[in-house]
Amino acid sequence: MKIELVTLLGSKLSVEGYEVILPTAYGEISIFPGHEPLVTLLAPGSMAVRMQPNDPDEALEYYATTGGIVEAGGNLVRVLADEAESGDEIAEDEARAAYERAVKMRAEARDHIELEKAKELIDRHAVRLKVADLHRRRRRMRLN
Amino acid sequence: MPSVSQLKGRIRSVNSTKQITGAMELVSASKMRRAADASLATHEYHAHATELIERLMADGIADGHPLFVHRPMRSRLLVVITSDTGLAGAYNSNVLKRYVASLKMDKERGVRTLTIAVGRKIANFAARLDEAEVIGVYKGISGALTPSDYRAIVDTAVEKYARAEIDAVDIIYTKYCSSLSQEARLWHLLPAGHTPGKEDDFDARSAIFEPSRAEVFNVVVERIIEIQVVQAILDSVASEHSMRMMAMKNATDNATELSDDLTLEMNKARQAAITQEISEISNGAEAVK
Repeated sequence: MKIELVTLLGSKLSVEGYEVILPTAYGEISIFPGHEPLVTLLAPGSMAVRMQPNDPDEALEYYATTGGIVEAGGNLVRVLADEAESGDEIAEDEARAAYERAVKMRAEARDHIELEKAKELIDRHAVRLKVADLHRRRRRMRLN
Repeated sequence: MPSVSQLKGRIRSVNSTKQITGAMELVSASKMRRAADASLATHEYHAHATELIERLMADGIADGHPLFVHRPMRSRLLVVITSDTGLAGAYNSNVLKRYVASLKMDKERGVRTLTIAVGRKIANFAARLDEAEVIGVYKGISGALTPSDYRAIVDTAVEKYARAEIDAVDIIYTKYCSSLSQEARLWHLLPAGHTPGKEDDFDARSAIFEPSRAEVFNVVVERIIEIQVVQAILDSVASEHSMRMMAMKNATDNATELSDDLTLEMNKARQAAITQEISEISNGAEAVK
């Protein structure tokens, strides 16, 4: 099955894989080869790709996304993401610092606009942290 | 004729200017390449999103959608993109000319014009014009775009259009054709239309849409409008740097020429002084005989 991840700032991924796990408005869904044609909205969260049918969960490739559109059907899954970052690209220290800044921003928010913005940032950096963490764990697993 | 030491000073100052313009040329060249690559990278997303919207529109879903409604034009919003800094050849003045022409056209046909200014140059320019009604100013947008840079512009445009406060949204930006050719142009953003593209292997007719066709459609339309703004900004940034690169290249060439001319003049002046001294000495010697 062809898996494509395209963002506003360019193509992130274009590979042959077996399974894609996606966060949607109705919860997480998994798409396997031969899925019924489906167009759905991607929710902010982490997306995962399994390359081979018998790859263990530790071998999943993770991406942090902030929402977008998913087209699936036949032998193709195409994710049009607003933003996407792979575990490789996220610097964990930077993500943690950004998360802490966002938490501080929430504490100091003066009106509901600032509060909303802070909440959005917290969600976003929490996902990034999670993806970075999963990525690190996966790398360690590989080394062992 | 200026003295040798005066000419020396002038040569020195021309050479140091040349060094600066040379450095600016190199900086612009690398920034241009980065911006041009970023602009190219958005094309794939745009193509896929356009395909999706076309298939949805084939079912008539766009009929009556607030962003697709054509209304008689009473007011329009112009998003004008310039740079923050100057020294980029005709880059800013081309855009401003385009803007003034649009303002004039709107005045003649009795259309009210609102302006969103992106870049310090247009912001300062519009502030001096009586007929320009500026509703937003964005500065400091560069090649490394983040969603917060453009989302506010898109949101304002979409919201105002959906509430029928404005009847059209146009972007004035500089299209980046190549490193040698750029063109200031006006692009119609809203009401949304579509341009037919190529067919895809994905069959949407039988597809399931979650949560619903209308909701998916809304998101795709918004993204398409967003990406057009992003492309306009990235194209403008690439054009800015390429025009600055050309301007700086010309300035460096001129400085080289000027420095050569001045060196020649200085050598002449020095030679003239030597000749004069020798003739004075020999004249003096003749007189003593």
